[in-house]
Amino acid sequence: MPFVYGLEVIVQHLSGGALFPDPCAGSGMTAARCGAYAFIVWDIYLPGVLLALIVGAGLGLSGAALQGVFRNPLADPFLLGISSGGTLGAAILYVYHVGQGNADVYLPVFAFVGAVSTGLLILAVARGRYSSVETLLLTGVAIANFLSAVLSLVLLYNPTGSEQVTFWLLGGLGLADWTVVEIAFGATLALGTLLCLFGRELNLLQLGSDVAQSAGVDAARTRLQVILLASLVTAVAVAFTGIIGFVGLVSPHIVRRLSRSDYRVVLPGSAAIGALFLLGARDLSYLAFPGSVLPLGIFTAFAGVPFFLFLLFRQRRLVTMGGGT
Amino acid sequence: MSEPPAVRLTRLGVRFGERVALQALDLTVARGEFVALAGPNGSGKTTLLRALLGFVAPSEGTVEVFGTPVASLSTTERARRVAWVPQEEALRDDIPLDQYVLYGRYAHHRRLDGDSREDRVLVERILADVGLADRARDGLLSISGGERQRATLARALAQQSPLLLLDEPTSHLDIAHQLDLLGRVRSLARNDGVTVLAALHDLNLAARYADRIVVLSRGRRVADGPPKDVLSEDLLARVWGVAAELAVDRQTGLPYLLPRRLIEEKGPAPSTLLPGPVHVVGGGGSASPLLRALSNEGLRVTAGALHLLDTDAETADALGLVAAVEAPFAPLSDATRAHHRVLLGEAAVIVVAPFAVGPSNLGNLEDITPFVGRTPTLLVDPPSGPAWDFTGGAATRARDGLRAAGAEPVPGTEAAVRRVVERLARPTVPSPAGPG
Repeated sequence: MPFVYGLEVIVQHLSGGALFPDPCAGSGMTAARCGAYAFIVWDIYLPGVLLALIVGAGLGLSGAALQGVFRNPLADPFLLGISSGGTLGAAILYVYHVGQGNADVYLPVFAFVGAVSTGLLILAVARGRYSSVETLLLTGVAIANFLSAVLSLVLLYNPTGSEQVTFWLLGGLGLADWTVVEIAFGATLALGTLLCLFGRELNLLQLGSDVAQSAGVDAARTRLQVILLASLVTAVAVAFTGIIGFVGLVSPHIVRRLSRSDYRVVLPGSAAIGALFLLGARDLSYLAFPGSVLPLGIFTAFAGVPFFLFLLFRQRRLVTMGGGT
Repeated sequence: MSEPPAVRLTRLGVRFGERVALQALDLTVARGEFVALAGPNGSGKTTLLRALLGFVAPSEGTVEVFGTPVASLSTTERARRVAWVPQEEALRDDIPLDQYVLYGRYAHHRRLDGDSREDRVLVERILADVGLADRARDGLLSISGGERQRATLARALAQQSPLLLLDEPTSHLDIAHQLDLLGRVRSLARNDGVTVLAALHDLNLAARYADRIVVLSRGRRVADGPPKDVLSEDLLARVWGVAAELAVDRQTGLPYLLPRRLIEEKGPAPSTLLPGPVHVVGGGGSASPLLRALSNEGLRVTAGALHLLDTDAETADALGLVAAVEAPFAPLSDATRAHHRVLLGEAAVIVVAPFAVGPSNLGNLEDITPFVGRTPTLLVDPPSGPAWDFTGGAATRARDGLRAAGAEPVPGTEAAVRRVVERLARPTVPSPAGPG
């Protein structure tokens, strides 16, 4: 009964040994085999599950926030180049062998810095006189393309690093351990909670910045704050898992479909759906390809795209958010 | 100490780059007043409203609402004083109406507040006030355009701001919904003491509902006062370039304007308002400068008898003038000459251009002769250089005959236009021999 046994291991850890002080006792396994099992459950399986939930929540949430602030159902961290920035940061680490002796620490840091600087760059460019939602969005798309080009160039001249970078590009939960989970959880919870407080502002921004402004929303400041927070949340996710696409794009659409277009619901709802979506994708990928380590980013696209198209064609209303009415 | 007015603009100027949108504008709106802002497109109405909302910064002067400069207010403080109903709101989500109206409460909430019981009661009351109580749970995209504009008004009212700005709120509505919406807005001003400033295209609606009309033109205030003092034919001609008739609604005693036509319009449409007609006899391009100059003076102009494909015929056509025309290069037919005589008979002034005369159009000069005694006739001197008489002297004799019969010679186009204007200004008094 590995499942029950796994639960016993988890409860044992959570209770500090007070319950099931020795789960191996009744397992019928040798002590060594049982110890290995316990290690797998507690130190590998569980961090993976938790990281999937945390990263999924973060991506879903930042996708919802960005779609809200740009009034565009296509906006997500990838379209805007925030994720590409993270990848470029990771690529620099691999290719130029910066701090590789301590890659566990430096890789997330580089990716985080890359993603956040991209977010700041978009904001800086768009803060100018002619900043409109459209300028911001196009700036993001242009920067994303530019960063992809830089990444290709870097890899072209440094083929040795390209294998690791490719794996990064595809995204996965391979870095999960308890330290990673704790950092990701703390950061995502704090930033995500702040982001969820912008529901009212995002609701009004859907009516156009002028209307929002007339009703009391400082549109420009709200845009800055939301984009900054969403970049940070994305950066945390990208730092630990590389690029996992589609969660940020699809989760808000599911929430709007299930519930309503009230951003006070859409923001936390997208976090919940994103978490479930990524966990489901992870488990499905293990079920579909047992024994292989199919990159999660590939699987989210495989599973997400047909589902997304199904949603779109089942109810056209879903896209009215960005289209004319 | 009396309380400050709802709106006070002092020497307000707004510039967008080189373009001046508003200049040196002084305006005071008392509390509870319903003021309509009128003016042609681009006259600065929307800019004025946007300045009051703090969306555009004045390049000079000050904008005050209820005694406080708008620039010194935070976004939420301003929203609690000023609410705005745009021409059309970009609604994309099918959210329920009551939720949409609740959005208007934003400025009264702190960050973590939920929608309070008072908010819901207020929204219910406002929806009832605008006649949408039974649509509260309907989606915004499922209601009609008229209902949606009322919903927008309700959202603005939920701000409970004492100053309500409306930017062409009725432009997408049918007539029944226009009356309905403006009636509701007026009762807000009358019964609830809300100050209303509304940009309105329709002057008759403005006259009917507003206490006062402020007319802007090129960023300046050109008229201001109660509708019956402000609306005039002269105002419409001056500001909008439209000829209109002013009448009084016998039921309400309010003035209303009946627009007739554009003053720049060069159409054959009969009008008692435009002076004329001035009939120009020409051909071969000799009359084109005259036709253009006279049309530019705002006169009604006719022309004849011209040959198709001729420069003058094409000019007349381009200006939309009535002209008697003949087939290309053919001698003037009896029918064309008859048409020409009708136009000559209707003319208030006849101008004979210095056209070249050959056998095919000699009839033009002959046809003028009987009218010279009755209608003021100006004879533009032919150029001294090139020959114009290709009839072996018959044309020269005909011109001399016109002059002998009382036609007045003028040296050129400019002088002719000047004399025409003088003649039309004093139609009955014989003009003294003036210069030119």
